[in-house]
Amino acid sequence: MSGITATPAARGIPPRLLVRGAILAGIALLAALPLLNLLPAGSALRVSDFTVAVTGKWICYAVLALAIDIAWGYAGILSLGHGAFFALGGYAMGMHLMRLIGPRGVYGHPVLPDFMVFLGYRELPWYWLGFEHFPYALLMALLVPGALAFIVGWLSFRSRITGVYFSILTQAMTYALMLAFFRNDMGFGGNNGFTDFKELLGVPLNTQAARSGLFYAALLLLAGCLFLCRHIVSTKLGRVLVAVRDAESRVRFLGYSVTSFKLAVFTLSGMMAGLAGALYVPLVGIINPGEFAPGNSIEAVIWVAVGGRGTLIGAVLGAFSVNAVKTWLTSFAPDLWLFALGGLFVAVTLLLPQGLVGLFRRRAR
Amino acid sequence: MTKRQGLYLDGVSVVFDGFRALNNLSLIVDPGELRAVIGPNGAGKTTMMDVITGKTRPTAGTVRFGDHDLTRMDEAAIANLGIGRKFQKPTVFDALTVFENLELALKAPRDPLSCLRWRLNAVSRARIGAVLEEIGLAARAADLAGVLSHGQRQWLEIGMLLMQDPELLLVDEPVAGMTDQETEQTAALLRRIAGHRSVVVVEHDLEFVRALGEKVTVLHEGTMLSEGSIDAVQNDPRVIEVYLGR
Amino acid sequence: MARLLLLIVLLLARPALAQDAYLDALPGLAGGFGAQAEAVERLGAGGNPRALPVLRALSEGRLMKRDSTVILNGTDAATGQPLDATGAETVRINNRVRSALRGALGRLQLVSANPDERFAAAESVFRSRSAENIPGLEAAIARETVPRVKERQELALAASRLVAPDAAVKRQGIATLGGASSEDARALLLEARNANPELAAEIDAAIAAIDTRLTFKRAAETLFQGLSLGSVLLLAALGLAITFGVMGVINMAHGEFVMLGAYTTFVVQEACRGIPWLLPWSLPLSVPAAFLVAGLAGAALERGLIRHLYGRPLETLLMTFGVGMILQQAVRLAFGAQNREVISPAWMQGTLPLPGGILITQNRLWVIVFAMLVLLLAIAAIRLTRFGLEMRAVVQNRRIAATMGIRTGRVDALTFAFGSGIAGMAGVALSQIDNVSPNLGTGYIIDSFMVVVFGGVGSLVGTLVGSMGLGVLNKVIEPWAGAVLAKVAVLVIIMLFIQRRPRGLFALKGRAADA
Repeated sequence: MSGITATPAARGIPPRLLVRGAILAGIALLAALPLLNLLPAGSALRVSDFTVAVTGKWICYAVLALAIDIAWGYAGILSLGHGAFFALGGYAMGMHLMRLIGPRGVYGHPVLPDFMVFLGYRELPWYWLGFEHFPYALLMALLVPGALAFIVGWLSFRSRITGVYFSILTQAMTYALMLAFFRNDMGFGGNNGFTDFKELLGVPLNTQAARSGLFYAALLLLAGCLFLCRHIVSTKLGRVLVAVRDAESRVRFLGYSVTSFKLAVFTLSGMMAGLAGALYVPLVGIINPGEFAPGNSIEAVIWVAVGGRGTLIGAVLGAFSVNAVKTWLTSFAPDLWLFALGGLFVAVTLLLPQGLVGLFRRRAR
Repeated sequence: MTKRQGLYLDGVSVVFDGFRALNNLSLIVDPGELRAVIGPNGAGKTTMMDVITGKTRPTAGTVRFGDHDLTRMDEAAIANLGIGRKFQKPTVFDALTVFENLELALKAPRDPLSCLRWRLNAVSRARIGAVLEEIGLAARAADLAGVLSHGQRQWLEIGMLLMQDPELLLVDEPVAGMTDQETEQTAALLRRIAGHRSVVVVEHDLEFVRALGEKVTVLHEGTMLSEGSIDAVQNDPRVIEVYLGR
Repeated sequence: MARLLLLIVLLLARPALAQDAYLDALPGLAGGFGAQAEAVERLGAGGNPRALPVLRALSEGRLMKRDSTVILNGTDAATGQPLDATGAETVRINNRVRSALRGALGRLQLVSANPDERFAAAESVFRSRSAENIPGLEAAIARETVPRVKERQELALAASRLVAPDAAVKRQGIATLGGASSEDARALLLEARNANPELAAEIDAAIAAIDTRLTFKRAAETLFQGLSLGSVLLLAALGLAITFGVMGVINMAHGEFVMLGAYTTFVVQEACRGIPWLLPWSLPLSVPAAFLVAGLAGAALERGLIRHLYGRPLETLLMTFGVGMILQQAVRLAFGAQNREVISPAWMQGTLPLPGGILITQNRLWVIVFAMLVLLLAIAAIRLTRFGLEMRAVVQNRRIAATMGIRTGRVDALTFAFGSGIAGMAGVALSQIDNVSPNLGTGYIIDSFMVVVFGGVGSLVGTLVGSMGLGVLNKVIEPWAGAVLAKVAVLVIIMLFIQRRPRGLFALKGRAADA
């Protein structure tokens, strides 16, 4: 693994208070967005519905980036399949939203979603049962990605599959899932996935209340995950993870079971990604197998690299900045976006291995 | 230390693609013994260490530490039995401070949840402080291990072994690449560490082995060639042939 | 005996008799439906080649009549003289006539001069199944010289015999069908089994014989498809086995080099359009061209970017993925997002029939051959050339190789270019069996990595066994799980396999593997 990526616990520069202040200011700014959205249409400070929706989406991306960073930046586990955990969480929430449509679908069937009626289903498949309850769906959004991460991790880590081998394996995992979810007979809507959602927790999704509610839920999730990750990396657990990243076999000879540490952080990471996906789906109003595309996962990895891996705030910063550029560039020169993104991969790995945070640190010095 | 355990290797062979790295090797190290293992390049010294610490599985033979069959355990489990290993090339955790390196090595529950709840208490802090003094790095406790010199990294690694408080210590070429002064300090450090522990030192440097002044085992082509005091071994005609050419 | 005599007489007297029968039967076509059907039967049995266009016109609704004169394309069908067709009307037919027509046409076509027509005729007689076809078929078989037509005719004869009234003739039919290896023959026998309970034992034996052969045929075809898929994987993975396996550089743009090779094939083909005699050779010409294009791209990538990241595999992975994106988008802008067509030369088209009814598509066969050639080329380059020697030296010990005067940087660039060039050649092959589009490579990259991991990193033999193994495994699972689930199953199998052999099938063991 590469040289010296500092743990936040050890560094004195820049002053930690400054960082903490900047984080709080950022969160406060984000929290203000839905309120500014309430201002009358003519007001200079008014924020559009679009901005609120897009920012909400970015917050979910930031949680995904955080999940990747805690595994990659700290434990050295580079997963190229985190999009799969994100999408599975999204599908779990999507199933709940589909069940809530009830008889309001095009075919008006009281129980079955439209696509099932269309495909000639007689009754709900067994794995759809229970998704009409919100807590159950939320639990599944956490447990299904967690279980997948656990199984894949267990199979890989115990047989010492590390580095690029693990990356390739996770990429194959999300690719296989994408192919599977494209199939109609899987019972997940095939190609089209789920869309045309109506409501969540009794609130119609196309209302301002729902948009703000989801936005704050996402913000809360981000803050919670940030807090949790910060706590983890500041404990001895975090230091063992860094040790695993830099000299895995040495950690073994110290008597730590590297497999269980990797498994713990990877499963946690998968769960975080799942929750991010679960909030993402009602925010954007659609989930389809495209979310499993290997390109999505690797794009999320580059957010972390751009922000600066091994620094939690870097992951969040990277997710926001890359997606801001993406939104801006795809609107006026869509052909250029892929060049820019490809160029970003090259530039960050070659010129900016510590990411934006590394750049600020160097400045501060 | 409740029960003193000895190391016992019997008929151990390791075959890589037809190449016999170890060939029917037998070795007994008594509790509390300091043993030097010497041999020319490719004699199987490092492979022997790998087998004892679980990095390599033997193709045949028995490896026991007290009542434990080491061939059935992984590296972490073997380390937790009280077998510590110092590598030829010092490996410490560059991104952690000297203090944190020692803290990780400190005897404590090793599972993720315990690590999450771990709080450094006064006893542990004092113990780390004592080791810092012993290895001469007290002034650098807050520095990243990555910025230490080669010799300091060696000492930090030895310090980590002290924190582990092992019953059996395996040391692989501890003075390779050291200055004479550092070599002397290291020999003294090792002797002090040995105390009541069993120590196996693998070394090229015969002067260093002589300085240790203990029983010597000579390995050649994966099997034991000779065993005894340094003088007896140096006068063994088979050893002379191996070292001086045939 | 009497039948044989009759046949000989028929054959000898054929032209004259046939002519009379034709003229006799013809007016019946202008009559009522009953008369029509009878006339059709007689025309079919007569075997006069002139009857064929008439019956064809009748079946296609082009035959005209005025009173009892039958008019074909403005001529009198009886005399062949041109004729004023005013007042003529189209001959209408009903279903009874139509079914008679099918058999009659089949019988007539059996004597056509064109082997393809005779083959098609045997096919339609096989389907129409009437005992009346027997004499015509027997005569046709006696005359037939083309083996594949004869084979088909014998099947049709057997099928016709199956519905003959005579049990001995039926037995003959069963025996012949039992020697066939087609689903059709099996279905016929099953049908006959219900109609002839007294022959059940013989029919069952015949069906069992077919089943054995069908199982073998299916196994052989699965094996071929598996090897075919395997050689595609081999082509895609071989370059990777060199760049990743030998150099340890993980190149996610490898699939894009394959894509570059496929587009090179397209460009060479377009360039050859201006020179007609060169066009059939555009594909062979593409092979060195694609090797050069992809090889140069590889050398540029290695010298320009990758060498700055040696020892940092994860960064290399991300960086090359970005390069892949840029290449894809550049090709998309230059050539458009839609598929480009690369034409297969004539010698690669069509199918190759093997004994036992096994069909092999030529282009797939060529891909297998090509993959083997490329593999041999790669092995030869590594084992026999100076470059291969230097490459192996650098892989084993870079510093010592450098002290011996080997320019390691140049060897790195050449090795990487070599692996990339092989990817380009893979693109030439893929242009024959897959769509040439900007994202051609993405579909293969993951499978290729699986092959390299499965086969064992750093072993070309492992890559061969790995790709063939995965190819066959995929095709074996496919029939009962479907293509997608087969892929998923293969992935799961690889993961479980890695549990037992973490370093793949042909792993380097010992100290070298720990480096």
